[in-house]
Amino acid sequence: MTGNKIPTVYELSVPDRHGVDLPAPDVPQTALPTEGLRADCDLPELSQLDVVRHYLALSQLNFGVDSGFYPLGSCTMKFNPKVNEQIARLPGFAEAHPLQESETVQGNLALMFELQQWLAEIGGFAGVSLQPAAGAHGEFTGLLMTRAYHHARGDLKRTRILIPDSAHGTNPASTTMAGFTAVELPSDARGNIDLEAVRVACDDTVAGIMITNPNTLGLFEEHIDAVVQLVRACGGLVYGDGANMNALAGIARPGDLGFDVMHFNLHKTFSTPHGGGGPGSGPVGASARLKEFLPGPVVEFTRDAQGARYDLAMPDKSIGRVATFSGNFGMLVRAYAYIRQHGTKGLRENSEHAVLNANYLRVKLRDAFTVPFDRINMHEFVCSGAIDGTGVRALDVSKRLLDYGFHPPTNYFPLIVPEALMIEPTETEAKPTLDAFVAAMQAIAKEARENPALVKEAPHQTPVRRLDEVKAARELVLTDRAKSEAP
Amino acid sequence: MPRIGFFINPIAGMGGRVGLKGTDGVAAEAVRRGAEPMANARALEALRGFKRLLDNSPNPPAIEWLTASGTMGRKALQAAGFALVETVHTAPAESTAQDTKAAVEKFLTAGVDLILFCGGDGTARDICAIAGEAMPVLGIPAGVKMYSGVFGVTPAHTADILMRYLAGEIGLARVEIVDLDEDKYRGDEWAVRLYMSALTPFEPTYLQSAKALISSADEEAIKDDIAEQLREDIAAEPGTLFLLGPGSTVQAVGRALAIDKTLLGIDAVADSKVIGKDLAEQQILELLDRYPERKLVLSPIGAQGFLLGRGNQPLSPAVIRCIGADNIIVLSTPAKLARTPLLRFDTGDAALDADMISRKFLPVIVGYHRARLVKVAA
Ligand SMILES: Cc1ncc(COP(=O)(O)O)c(C=O)c1O
Repeated sequence: MTGNKIPTVYELSVPDRHGVDLPAPDVPQTALPTEGLRADCDLPELSQLDVVRHYLALSQLNFGVDSGFYPLGSCTMKFNPKVNEQIARLPGFAEAHPLQESETVQGNLALMFELQQWLAEIGGFAGVSLQPAAGAHGEFTGLLMTRAYHHARGDLKRTRILIPDSAHGTNPASTTMAGFTAVELPSDARGNIDLEAVRVACDDTVAGIMITNPNTLGLFEEHIDAVVQLVRACGGLVYGDGANMNALAGIARPGDLGFDVMHFNLHKTFSTPHGGGGPGSGPVGASARLKEFLPGPVVEFTRDAQGARYDLAMPDKSIGRVATFSGNFGMLVRAYAYIRQHGTKGLRENSEHAVLNANYLRVKLRDAFTVPFDRINMHEFVCSGAIDGTGVRALDVSKRLLDYGFHPPTNYFPLIVPEALMIEPTETEAKPTLDAFVAAMQAIAKEARENPALVKEAPHQTPVRRLDEVKAARELVLTDRAKSEAP
Repeated sequence: MPRIGFFINPIAGMGGRVGLKGTDGVAAEAVRRGAEPMANARALEALRGFKRLLDNSPNPPAIEWLTASGTMGRKALQAAGFALVETVHTAPAESTAQDTKAAVEKFLTAGVDLILFCGGDGTARDICAIAGEAMPVLGIPAGVKMYSGVFGVTPAHTADILMRYLAGEIGLARVEIVDLDEDKYRGDEWAVRLYMSALTPFEPTYLQSAKALISSADEEAIKDDIAEQLREDIAAEPGTLFLLGPGSTVQAVGRALAIDKTLLGIDAVADSKVIGKDLAEQQILELLDRYPERKLVLSPIGAQGFLLGRGNQPLSPAVIRCIGADNIIVLSTPAKLARTPLLRFDTGDAALDADMISRKFLPVIVGYHRARLVKVAA
């Protein structure tokens, strides 16, 4: 809506206005070298107060977990405790240099070592590497390990990775990047991987399967044991996409289910900040038979005659480095702080509350919206955003939610549910927030039936209306002047 | 202002209700058996749905309709409440396929942006034969058989697709126009045939590019991705005979190989070079004699999922047996698969069909280094 539009600094510019008055020079003046002078800079002319107000207003257009409810499914937009930030800013953590000798950063290495141990314990793995910088990076790492494992055994014909059709798009993307062919498996009527399809697909060309459990429909894979057995029986490995560990942490361990390698998204389950392209962290856990292939360096602890110490070391058959230095160390500190604060019992309670909140929303919303797999879900669920006969779609519902002050759920994912809205409340939201969200969703469903144009034209309260998101992603023009200078 | 040519085949669908498996050439018999015309009701359902979507839309386009008289279009448009209706063809009460052709010719002369029609595969064929492969065509399903790619799933779905196309939300894709040979079908023989390709507004394949962001890949680009995979596979197997089946998906493989693949026929390639075009059964068997290593590349035809049917005569049971079921490579875009949940076989050889069915799932190449297991209908 144009009424809310914030002018650009250029539009605010007033000729000859300035932000600072420089004192009269008390040294001899000299001319600036002419080759450095430009007449075409066209800088805005503003006072300090103009500038402060302008940027403060812009900053207030941000939407984050700190400003409102953010049920972006699969992304786990939980509150990022502020104490994590204080700890990460302690000089010993924040000011350490990655090239410092090990003896001078024993505390930091101890933190990494303990985090490796804890993640191994939480996931049920024999070893962990903290190197990967995101979930997708962890997937790629795990697939390189899978390949290294088969090749080390002289088994070169395994070229296929099985992936359920509900998987996140990064799974097939990582697979192709790692040089495998992705083979999609259909889901059954209850939203599980079709067991019969797994049976048919398993042969000696299968390098492994990538499983997300709970899957992206927020459903626990009911045949998980059978799937793992089938794949292992044909010689394949089991990769776990741990993006949804926040439903399991403290309750069940993928390693115990027979997973060989899995990434954790510290920026999801373990509350490190994400979004806006900020640093993520996707440590990878491995079973005993894959541990030696982990990327390094990992932190090792030794105690001998000289005393106890932590060192960086490469696992024996390591696939090598996948990141510079020690991964995104600042995120490791935050995740460490989070696990420490909650402990075993707290992590379990967080998972339970995440599941409870998501089930509460599903049940409250299933009358207003269609829930295609309407069974007990885990930490998230998927409904259809299409409202029959009105032309209103998931995207419209999402845009209208902005007017109600909520961040939209994830749209159009997973792809197996047409017009999907994937809703993940997380455990950090209290019941009044969930109820307010339910009320907004119900109101939108009602509007869609009574006045669909209102929903189709939304948002009405934001500075800009519907952006061409695809064009924005493909033609990244970030400045006002670039726009006017564009051909 | 968009101009839409609108045409109803008023007798479409009548044969089905009275067990005639189609209405081509047997409309009088259908009427005698008590069939009621239903195409106008289906068309009206779609038009009313479309009108409602227009009324709900923040800035609805004003549409100029060109149509044929009475039950061939005008009546339904008026009943749905559309005002800008011009009748460009007047037909007698007993209309025939000649009227379909005449109306479409007039649409083309007057200039339309899209042809919306109501009928079945026979109507689609008649319309596309005149409209050609470059005019967007969209069908309201009302026939006995609707295997061509131009139909919405229901009249309401057709309305939705039309609205989104006019709003610029979805683009066009090339699909196949297929039809059964009704005489054979009435004799319980399945003979589905591919006639041509046509352009139709197409629901895009959603690709996830970030969490709250979607983009759609156009159908032809996906076919090219699939074709690139095949190009690599063909290059990796020197000396192997690749038989390329009919349809636009396999035709894209021809593009990737820089050869001119026929749309309807079966062409042969070895070492990335064409060694035969539009082959008949005997010619294929001769090639199979010469090439011990062979692969057959197919894409399901139309929406019904038939990979091998009697309509595809050159691919006889003898040919398939000789090639071996393990050497069949199936290609499909994800969007086509979404309309084709099951793969079907009707080769005319029960043992061969049973062998295919016993596999339960077949891998289908859906992109570059991407495959999907698809169920085989029991
Ligand atoms: C199920 C699933 N897998 C993998 C990923 C990729 O993780 P990342 O975004 O950390 O790369 C995501 C991301 O959101 C996800 O939801």
